[in-house]
Amino acid sequence: MYHSFEVDGVDHPVWLSASQDGYRLHLGDQVIAPVGFAHHSNSSGILTIAGESEPVRFVIDRDMIHVHIRGRTRTFRYRDPLQTLASVSQEASSLVARAPMPGVVVTTTVSPGQSVTAGMALMMIESMKLETIIRAPQDGVVDRIHFKEGESFERDAPLVTLSKEGR
Amino acid sequence: MQRITSVVDVNSQEFRHNELYNRQLAAELKERQRAARFHRPERELERLRRQNKLFVRDRIEALLDPETPFLELSTLAANKAYDGEVPGAAQVVGIGIVAGREVIVHADDASVKSGAWYPLSVKKIVRALDIAIENRLPVVHLCDCAGGFLPLQAEFFADRYYAGRILRNQSILSKMGVPQVAIAMGHCTAGGAYVPALSEYNIVVEGTGAIFLGGPPVVKAATGENVSVEELGGANMHTSVSGTSDYFASSEMHAIAIARDIVARFHRPEKTWIDRVAPEPPSYDESELYGIIPKDTRVQFDMREIIARLVDGSRFHEYQQRYGTSLVCGFARLHGYQIGVLANNGVLFGDSALKGAHFIQLCDKNQTPLLFLQNVTGFMVGREYERQGITKHGAKLIMAVSGASVPKFTVVCNGSHGAGTYAMAGRAFDPRFVFSWPQSTISAMGAEQAAGVLTHVKARQMARDGGRLSDMELATIREPILEEYRERSSAYYATSEIWDDGILDPVDTRSALAIVLSASLSAPIAAPDYGVFRM
Amino acid sequence: MHTLPFDTVLVANRGEIAARIIKTLRKLGLRSAVVYHEVDAHTPAVSMADTAIEISGRSPIAAYLDTAQLIAVAHKARAGALHPGYGFLSENAEFARAVRKAGITFIGPAPETIELMGDKIRARKFVQCSGFPVAPSAVDEDDPEEFVVRARAIGAPLLVKPSGGGGGKGMRIVRNLDSLEDAIEQARREGQRYFGDSRVYVERYIEKPRHIEVQVLGDSFGNVVHLFERECSVQRRFQKIIEETPSPALSPQLRKRICETAVGIARAANYQNAGTVEFIFGAGEFYFLEMNARLQVEHPVTEMVTGVDLVAEQVYAAAGRALGFSQSDIAANGHAIEIRLYAEAPERGYAPTTGKVLLLEYPDGVRIDSGILQGQQITTAFDPMLAKIIAHAPTRIESALKAHRAIREMILLGCETNASFLARILADEAFLGGEIHTGYLEEHPQMAADNFAFGLSAFLASAALLTRPVRESADAVPPLHAALGRWRN
Repeated sequence: MYHSFEVDGVDHPVWLSASQDGYRLHLGDQVIAPVGFAHHSNSSGILTIAGESEPVRFVIDRDMIHVHIRGRTRTFRYRDPLQTLASVSQEASSLVARAPMPGVVVTTTVSPGQSVTAGMALMMIESMKLETIIRAPQDGVVDRIHFKEGESFERDAPLVTLSKEGR
Repeated sequence: MQRITSVVDVNSQEFRHNELYNRQLAAELKERQRAARFHRPERELERLRRQNKLFVRDRIEALLDPETPFLELSTLAANKAYDGEVPGAAQVVGIGIVAGREVIVHADDASVKSGAWYPLSVKKIVRALDIAIENRLPVVHLCDCAGGFLPLQAEFFADRYYAGRILRNQSILSKMGVPQVAIAMGHCTAGGAYVPALSEYNIVVEGTGAIFLGGPPVVKAATGENVSVEELGGANMHTSVSGTSDYFASSEMHAIAIARDIVARFHRPEKTWIDRVAPEPPSYDESELYGIIPKDTRVQFDMREIIARLVDGSRFHEYQQRYGTSLVCGFARLHGYQIGVLANNGVLFGDSALKGAHFIQLCDKNQTPLLFLQNVTGFMVGREYERQGITKHGAKLIMAVSGASVPKFTVVCNGSHGAGTYAMAGRAFDPRFVFSWPQSTISAMGAEQAAGVLTHVKARQMARDGGRLSDMELATIREPILEEYRERSSAYYATSEIWDDGILDPVDTRSALAIVLSASLSAPIAAPDYGVFRM
Repeated sequence: MHTLPFDTVLVANRGEIAARIIKTLRKLGLRSAVVYHEVDAHTPAVSMADTAIEISGRSPIAAYLDTAQLIAVAHKARAGALHPGYGFLSENAEFARAVRKAGITFIGPAPETIELMGDKIRARKFVQCSGFPVAPSAVDEDDPEEFVVRARAIGAPLLVKPSGGGGGKGMRIVRNLDSLEDAIEQARREGQRYFGDSRVYVERYIEKPRHIEVQVLGDSFGNVVHLFERECSVQRRFQKIIEETPSPALSPQLRKRICETAVGIARAANYQNAGTVEFIFGAGEFYFLEMNARLQVEHPVTEMVTGVDLVAEQVYAAAGRALGFSQSDIAANGHAIEIRLYAEAPERGYAPTTGKVLLLEYPDGVRIDSGILQGQQITTAFDPMLAKIIAHAPTRIESALKAHRAIREMILLGCETNASFLARILADEAFLGGEIHTGYLEEHPQMAADNFAFGLSAFLASAALLTRPVRESADAVPPLHAALGRWRN
């Protein structure tokens, strides 16, 4: 089972194996060797990769690894298989309308207990100076509205939770 | 240590003929293995997909650490049995790396007869657990078995080494402190229910995995009770009510991730120390083995040429080079591990047996594992040899082979016949692993001689009834006898019956030996201790 | 010591501009007080100010827009003057009046000037009547239907803007007149929501226009000078990203004309503080766009080349002092480029990003006006601008190179930014050749698209080597098996 890093919604399977002169990095069919990392401080070090040296700045924040190399920054999420593989089917994800991007709630057009049909407007959010309507992912009853008008939220935050009708 | 100087002419006609022939044999082996692993009726694969189950090979690949080796054992078990309909005996067994630990993987193959246990399935599982016991290797069981194949129950149920032995071996492993993890990926019914139950850890996959002594139909028949699989032995019930299972997994991949995390908790016992240095590849190309192994198994060849293509730097410290020359003995290194090699260069004589018995004791006292490279027609026969005590010298070699405490490994390189099979650490002498090369043969007697004897016996019977047989008649009797004898002494038959742990492409031998050598060192090596040598 | 009529100034703003104003106040020997909403408690301005006073509101933005609260806080801080910064209430005449009424000096132009310039329609008329060039336009004043007819008469392409707006909010380009009415409706709605004013106006949209603005300074004695122009053509969604001075587009003659026009407009308006006259420039012609009666985000480039501290000049002007220099004393030296670091992902349509600033290190050799601190949480509560990097060098190319080096050396981890996007622009041939206009980014969409695959293996290698479980599983494999690799028999 490969390790996996997610960046911008894409999973990258990765495996590291030890070798005499450091590590080999396996990215799909691609093998890069040797690779190594020498720590200089708790946020900097030198990456050696296939004979090249790259100064690296980094911060590790739980499962998030923020890396800066040559003016570019990438954030990786280490996907712990125990977490990511658990209960994929458990939560009916389609019952939650999530934020497509971070933003602020402008207005909420439904209230808890109200029946909605798929595609019905639930909420208007504002992000990047543009308004976006959040619609019901499927038929159901509004169970919970997670943010009040004027409140801000992060990307992927649940905005409105629906319950199946008659529950 | 001196490097072996190969005298093989890789440009010779003979070398090229051998090479072509042996490469064909290797290709045939790979093809048969591929078929045994992957050829399945589409409906079986479709059924697995419908059940939301992964194919056994995918389960194993997910379980193993990527970029690490997997030595599959007895891939072609049952290839000559049950009309060839139970490839691999519906089991996959091998040594692999999970969370950095060397483990035995044992998996039911539900794409073959729903993973039902046939007599050879049971033999393969028992052997897998014997390997685990002998080498103290943890086991990961991937359980997905429909139960025993009842029409053949007489051949796998009651006897000492039949199905009960699986559960006994599991218990012994546990007693030895060697842990097991089982994942119930399908129904574990009746005896199969005990496989997860006797494992230190077990995981049930929600929806597809279940553990019970009798499934819903059996319960209905026995008590009239109507009960669902889930209620009777599903993941939720066993992890929250009965406590039969430890972990609830929402999918097979989740279960595998949990199993990997469990194995990562296993105590890593110190490996038994044996002399080891940095590994070095052989200085002769392993692929030259194809040109060295003769097309005609009766042609004699120098085993040093084989040794040169298996051991580190092709270096070999030969012991008693000038004495008992039909048995080559000496020290070498394989992936850095020091080993003692015994290899046949012809029939065993009294002096070769004495040399071998002595060399085994040297290795045993020196904590040096033994590698037997078999190419032996047996011990020399005849009045002169008996008078020189060849039987008692042979007995000394057998006593030494049996009594040696260091791990032993056997490769049937070419012929393995008669008492030579025994004296060279045949299966009965508990070498940790036995492998065969594709063209090798194993039998009490060589095919030609055996067919001669059998034809002679048959001819005598017929002669008693009606006179002398013509050469023509003799030939018609002889041909089928020879054919059947050849078939039953082939490597494919041997591996079908699990007389070995699998057929190896000769070029894979070095890596396979490295893996088993490392695995064997998970068990301690006892102090040398022998029976009485007949002097 | 200073000889100003007040000794404490309340900064009624946040972020980098609040910090930047405090720096000058400190330099002038004034005490600084700053307001902050709870979410801004851990920001540079709060830690720099002599006094920081928490304000609250229905939303964080509402707190900074609460006139009564701000005036109460100013009293509490014993502030004799108030600097509104930019945005928020900086161009709100009512606010300026309320501040004055409370006996506090408003650091900015007179309320009447704000009022005039804040109403885009009135401002245009005023400028037009004063004899300066404006773009053909239609103003929404009486009959809405008649307005559409007049707008249509100008001909496509058109730009529809809310009258009360600024900063690009609610602006729309109409290339097909069929969609004109819809665009007007939308602009009305957004204008109402953002500025409480649903009036809009429509003007000729100039293709490949450049945005050139002139910094002016006036005092209460009728003196008005300009501090040359700034070009702010690199924009996304009407939001400026890179600004510079001097403009590579102006000949000395044009520069003289445009600067003198700006001074003329400011003088006509009796402008008495720092202000900016914005022009649209295309095909050798320039038209008055609007006048911003406040300090601009991009004011530092002007400061870098002229050596004038614009905030100090604002304070002096508000305090009733006469300008300390005349036009001939002002000279521009070298070239300055400002790049704006935003918490946004150009790769994803400039979607705002959020996160905690986990590591923050600034490059050397450039001016940094920053509104963030390490440990600060970046939210979407405010504008996504985090900091500005201002590079000053003898020539345009040198200052672009300097800015390029600086943005690559800037370390900000924890919140995605547009840093690599800025670096790409600064290295772009068209940009370096000065071939920019307000549609530059739409014309070069590849600027926003990061070549993700480039160098990914180095990042993944770092991530893998820095992640314990990945390294542990590599180290757990016995060397023999690692050496055998993915061997199968």
